[in-house]
Amino acid sequence: KENCRPDGRELGEFRATTVNIGSITTADGSALVKLGNTTVICGVKAELAAPAVDAANKGYIVPNVELPSLCSTRFRSGPPGEEAQAASQFIADVIENSQIIAKEDLCVANGKLAWVLYCDIICLDYDGNILDASAFALLAALKNVQLPSVTINEETGLSEVNLKQKNPLIIRKHPVATSFAIFDDTLLIVDPTAEEEDLATGTVTIVTDDEGRLCSVHKPGGSPLTGAKLQDCITRAVTRHKEVKKLIDKVIKSIKPK
Amino acid sequence: MPLDHRRLRGPEESQPPELWAAGTGAVPEKEEEEDAAPQDPCALRPLFARAGLLSQAEGSAYVELGGGTKVLCAAWGPREAAEPGAAAAAAAAGGGRLLCEFYRAPFAGRGARRRPGSAAERDAEREAAAALREALEPAVRLARYPRARLAVSALLLQDGGSALAAAISAAALALADAGVEMYDLVVGCALCRLPGPAAAWMLQPGEPEERRAVARLTVALLPALNQVSAVLGGGQGSPPDDWAQALRLGLDGCHRLYPVLRQSLLRASRRRDATAAAATTTTA
Repeated sequence: KENCRPDGRELGEFRATTVNIGSITTADGSALVKLGNTTVICGVKAELAAPAVDAANKGYIVPNVELPSLCSTRFRSGPPGEEAQAASQFIADVIENSQIIAKEDLCVANGKLAWVLYCDIICLDYDGNILDASAFALLAALKNVQLPSVTINEETGLSEVNLKQKNPLIIRKHPVATSFAIFDDTLLIVDPTAEEEDLATGTVTIVTDDEGRLCSVHKPGGSPLTGAKLQDCITRAVTRHKEVKKLIDKVIKSIKPK
Repeated sequence: MPLDHRRLRGPEESQPPELWAAGTGAVPEKEEEEDAAPQDPCALRPLFARAGLLSQAEGSAYVELGGGTKVLCAAWGPREAAEPGAAAAAAAAGGGRLLCEFYRAPFAGRGARRRPGSAAERDAEREAAAALREALEPAVRLARYPRARLAVSALLLQDGGSALAAAISAAALALADAGVEMYDLVVGCALCRLPGPAAAWMLQPGEPEERRAVARLTVALLPALNQVSAVLGGGQGSPPDDWAQALRLGLDGCHRLYPVLRQSLLRASRRRDATAAAATTTTA
């Protein structure tokens, strides 16, 4: 009502975002993202497998969002609960709809060998807005991945991996997610904390692409939203995309000299 | 293999690219051996510890060892014991319960990605959690929390050797950070013995050494009281003097690591006081 939130932010203001790339050396690519208190780490491991019969020239990208019990008391240990499964599905949809990586690029030999990118996103601290942080971490980690080059030996038909020669992945698009929480059908706030999410009557997540293009809108139930309000959300998401893109470029540039 | 319906499915089988590193594959191995040989067996890897960094847990700690082992641990103070059956048993015993969990990130190991949810993973995690509980129980004053349960959850982000030892230290730090009453901090230290006729025991092995080791040992010590809370290990047999010497080496390592952990706890409490003071001045 006073146009101010419990932690002093404006309605349309995001929490301080920090990104750290390449911290896990055992993974092929990794990124740690902090949105205020919400901390998410994404590790990408690349393995080789035979492509599926019906998509012989496509590789695989398998996202997996884990919300372990250490990130918050609301999650129990054991197999992934509802929220984790929903988040995994959301990330899979983002990858599919935005074509962040063309699966054809992951193919090494048609019908015989292709890369599988296992993207494991683990939440370390849950303070709301997990979808934004996960999408951001995924994007940063994929930009950090270096794949060893694989050649198929013509005579023997076996593959040879050259671990010394590494190439970065070709990232075609840069999708960025922006989440809003809806209160009483009218009030919209950006980047909700866990407290705000619990009190909200609904949430909506908008994924935008480069050049201000809309990629996907994810509104899992909750209170209805007018068309005009949705338009406001989309405009805000486009602005956010530019901020995030700048941040990622800055981070990538800072590790290039290594 | 039973289908895991709760996770998105990838291909049935996949192999890490290292399997096919033909020709060039032999060279990195030799380089590793040459790097590892001149390492001093009594040298401790640099340890970085920081407590109080997660906002959602009552106590938390992050421990990082020089070779790349990264462990994050969170602890929660006394809460109502959930199951009535267990409460009766605990009431009979007269103390609270300590529940430990150990989770390995799928990207933590250097080889193939561990598939989360597979039976082998779950067994390894359960074993590690039991080991953690064994090491921590003697240090916590469970008698002060009757019918309550304390939860500790450890997450291994990167395995560069000595993972269980680092997890023990992190878990003890997290419990202390949560304000749980303890007799002392538990410090963990790992040792391993490499193959070879006259090989000596080595403190805090790195990942390549652990892979080649024929005997492994993890020691957990309460340094101020000089009491050993857990000794876990096994491997190729050797005369008992050898194991006694290894134990002494491990205890020495623990004593040396203790000041670092205490410093991090002090710093964390100072930080917490500073933020609390800042919050009260702004509201007042």
